[in-house]
Amino acid sequence: MRYLIIFILLIGVLLAQSGYEIAKMVDERLAPKDLTNTTNMILTNSRGKTRTHTMISKSMDGNKKQIIWFLEPKDDKGVAFLKIEHDDRDDEMRMWLPAFKKVRRISSKKKGDAFMGSDLSYEDLSSRELNENDYNRMEDEPVNGIDCYVLEIIPKKKAKSSYTKHISWVDKSTLTAVKEDSFDKREKLHKTKEFGYRHIGDYQVINRVFVRDTQNQHSTEVMFSDIKVDSGMDGNLFHEKNLKRLPRD
Amino acid sequence: MKNIIFKHMNSGITNSPIRQWFIDQALNHSKRTIILSLIATLIMGSGVRFLVIDDDMMKMLPKDLNSKITWDAVQDEFGSTEIIFIAFGRDGESVFKPQALADLWSLSEELETLPSVDDVISISTFTRIDNIDGFMEIDDLQSAQTLTDAEIDEIKIYLDKNPNIKKQLVSKGEDYLLTIVQPYDDVGLDTFRNDIVTAADAILKNYQIHFGGTAYVTGSVPQLIRKDVQSLIKVGMFIMVMILLLNLRSFPGVIMVLMVIVFSLVSMMGFMGWIYNITGSDRFLFALLNTSMPIILLTIANSDGVHVVTKFFREMRTGKNVKTAVATTMDSLLIPIFLTSITTIAAFLTMISSPLEPLVGYGFCISVGIGWAWFLSSLMLPAVISLKKWDHKSRAIAQASVFEMLVGRLGEVVLKYPKYVFSVGLLLVFFGLAGFYNITVDVNVASFFKPGTEIRDSMDFMDQEMTGTMDLRIRVEGDIKDPGILRKMDSLQVFVEKNKKIAVTYSIADVVKQMHRTVMDDSLKYESIPQSREKVNNLFTMYSMSGDPEDFSAMIDYDYTVGLITALSTVMTTEEVFSFVVSISNYITTYFNENLNIDVTGMIVVIRDMVILIIQSSSLSILFSLILIGIIASIFFKRILWGFLAVIPLTAAVILNFGLMGHFNVSLNHITAILSAIIIGVGVDFAIHFISQFRRLSQTVHEDQLSREVIKDVGYPIILDAGSNMGFGALLFSAFVPVQYIGGLMVFAMISTSMGTLTLLSSTSELLKHRLIEREN
Repeated sequence: MRYLIIFILLIGVLLAQSGYEIAKMVDERLAPKDLTNTTNMILTNSRGKTRTHTMISKSMDGNKKQIIWFLEPKDDKGVAFLKIEHDDRDDEMRMWLPAFKKVRRISSKKKGDAFMGSDLSYEDLSSRELNENDYNRMEDEPVNGIDCYVLEIIPKKKAKSSYTKHISWVDKSTLTAVKEDSFDKREKLHKTKEFGYRHIGDYQVINRVFVRDTQNQHSTEVMFSDIKVDSGMDGNLFHEKNLKRLPRD
Repeated sequence: MKNIIFKHMNSGITNSPIRQWFIDQALNHSKRTIILSLIATLIMGSGVRFLVIDDDMMKMLPKDLNSKITWDAVQDEFGSTEIIFIAFGRDGESVFKPQALADLWSLSEELETLPSVDDVISISTFTRIDNIDGFMEIDDLQSAQTLTDAEIDEIKIYLDKNPNIKKQLVSKGEDYLLTIVQPYDDVGLDTFRNDIVTAADAILKNYQIHFGGTAYVTGSVPQLIRKDVQSLIKVGMFIMVMILLLNLRSFPGVIMVLMVIVFSLVSMMGFMGWIYNITGSDRFLFALLNTSMPIILLTIANSDGVHVVTKFFREMRTGKNVKTAVATTMDSLLIPIFLTSITTIAAFLTMISSPLEPLVGYGFCISVGIGWAWFLSSLMLPAVISLKKWDHKSRAIAQASVFEMLVGRLGEVVLKYPKYVFSVGLLLVFFGLAGFYNITVDVNVASFFKPGTEIRDSMDFMDQEMTGTMDLRIRVEGDIKDPGILRKMDSLQVFVEKNKKIAVTYSIADVVKQMHRTVMDDSLKYESIPQSREKVNNLFTMYSMSGDPEDFSAMIDYDYTVGLITALSTVMTTEEVFSFVVSISNYITTYFNENLNIDVTGMIVVIRDMVILIIQSSSLSILFSLILIGIIASIFFKRILWGFLAVIPLTAAVILNFGLMGHFNVSLNHITAILSAIIIGVGVDFAIHFISQFRRLSQTVHEDQLSREVIKDVGYPIILDAGSNMGFGALLFSAFVPVQYIGGLMVFAMISTSMGTLTLLSSTSELLKHRLIEREN
């Protein structure tokens, strides 16, 4: 009897998933081939003042290619942004400045830089490469009644991350991150993120992100609406020339 | 020799029931009186634990002061503008070296972790905007703690290309690095200053360090002055005790005088603590302005005690027993002590109408202290005197002191030459009046420190080598993305920079120009404000994609509706600040659209406004005090003429005080303006005592001897009181110029008010004695 119990326990230990395995499952989760949405982003500073941006966003290849047209505020209408991530070289980012009638390239040296003054950095918006991080599984914990895996994600040096680690709570049933805490170079808590999802077709698609910068007392709430997936987007869309005009659809 | 008739008052017998009650408490219930007084003093004094020292100058200002309203708005929108500058380096040695920049990195990192620090601006934290291969690149000016020579050269090249930025970060000789530290707006400046100095001293041990900025000076000065005054007051007290001892020649007598002083002081400070604890009002915070309170109360309490003890000794000298001597002393002095206290209280209570919060608390609390001193000297002091066994044969009682003998001679002079004495007094007053026109107002903080002191040397260094440490802020409210407004801001900066004292200005207009140039392929032709609002907006949007818009938080608010122009300057005199602000206002009126809301603020502007308020309230306070004192004296002495005469020495002393300030270039500022309170506090006492004794003795002494006898009677305590208070001349040895002025003016106040009473008032009374005595009789 004793040996049977030990055998069952050993099997349990062997079958328990490691952090890497869970991260791999999340990475391999079904994702749309392309995605279109209207994004509403509300920034709130430490004095309670807010700024709101509304954009149309189109992306494909797991967000490696993205093009955004700004709608609001009215001052920004006409401004557009193009991002193309590369594995073997620096990412390309370009901006259409309608008043100057010029496309200007933007440096992507500092991944920790904020996007549009929000609490989401370029790193936060980029896809996280599986092999650029180490993963440790921590004790499972529920979040808002949802059973979650808890992963400690430590970026490797080659990731050139602005974070020392993340603690991520992953919904066991949907393999989506519901909450994440990110730590800065001094290993102090920098940002807390919450995610909301919507089920569209076979996919769990993000429809809400809330980020709080705990050090600067600044927050960003992003709501995604009019979400369309797998519309058969053409890769040629992600070109400079398309920055100058709003898409008809 | 003419007969001099003295009527002896029977001990314990007086024609006033109230006086009788006081004398009865002191003589027949001595122990009870002493115990109750002690208990009451202890209860009051226990409030000292609630006393809060707070030197936040902004709390002193009335909430409806324009520059304060603007200042508050600026703090709210941009965070605290009260910055501290730290410059470190070694004379003649370039700072563009790996070690210096590495130490700057450590300093910046350390400062950013401090809970009182909101922002740190240095080479290590600055952002650079470059055009590289068509990129608009936003990057850190210093990318890492340890830099290669090539990386350091790049920094140098960038700074040389942007001289306005360089001025804010490096000294003219490139041998000092500058760090600007901004606190959170709810942090006390003294806390902030201490945090910064501690952090910098720990990291920059191997360098020469200079600190500057209004926050540094404002955060340092109060505690430095307080420490300086505390140690010098001890010296002053020692001198005072020595003078009292030499003249009274009685150790118990001196102790009794000190007892009244110490108990009054403790009660006043305790009362202030209690009131602050109960009300929580900022009026009862102990600030720099309140430093003179203990000094003033000390002189008033000393006066009461000296009058009682010296009168007692004179009565004992006539052969009376202790109880009778106490009774006749108090019968003679209760009214004048009460009158001097009530007039001084009335004078200080006029401060309650001051727009400056601390002056309201000042007037109220010092009035309580004076009232308590009166209570102690009217009840507890005679009770203590009556309990002690005195030796009739002791020198203190049996023999007149040196001062007493000198005073006798003074009385002779007044009697012989009253017109001459009066004329000399009047001449001095005219001399004082002439000096009025030369009075200057100056709150130039640099002038508070003598050259050679650490703070002054640092300020001079900052002025000569760096951007200076004073700041002026111009708040512009409007659509800041509007190119027209940005161009006007730019032109205003050009105008402001024409002032030789202005080292550098910066605003969002400079950043827009730099971004415009960068976007247009780094062409200098485009270092200008774009023509359209859309272009300006595109630049901001583009920056937000590459850098952090919070980089502009010190120059523009979140909504782009308020912009801030900052001008850093070397130390300006108050007059220069006045005329500069006026010229800016005129420029704005001429060239700016009246729809735009533009306000000038900054610590120097606020201090300027505060000084105006202090001077106005002090002037009004003096005027009302004189009128009030005159009225009270008229009522108590039952004649308007006496009321008028009571304020003569006081008025003369005030005129001479300010006149001498004008003649000797002692500028009026928020410290010296308060000193007029000393003159009021002390000056009226001498006159009241003189008039009281004049009236009293006119009933028993022949008119030909009256002035001499009055001077003999009150002259000694007046001279002793004035003489012992001159111990505060020790303040003349302070390292702080305003504290030196307090010492000098104290000495002057004692001399002018005592001599004014014993010469001007006595000669006037002598000249008018027929009228005065006739009416009394």
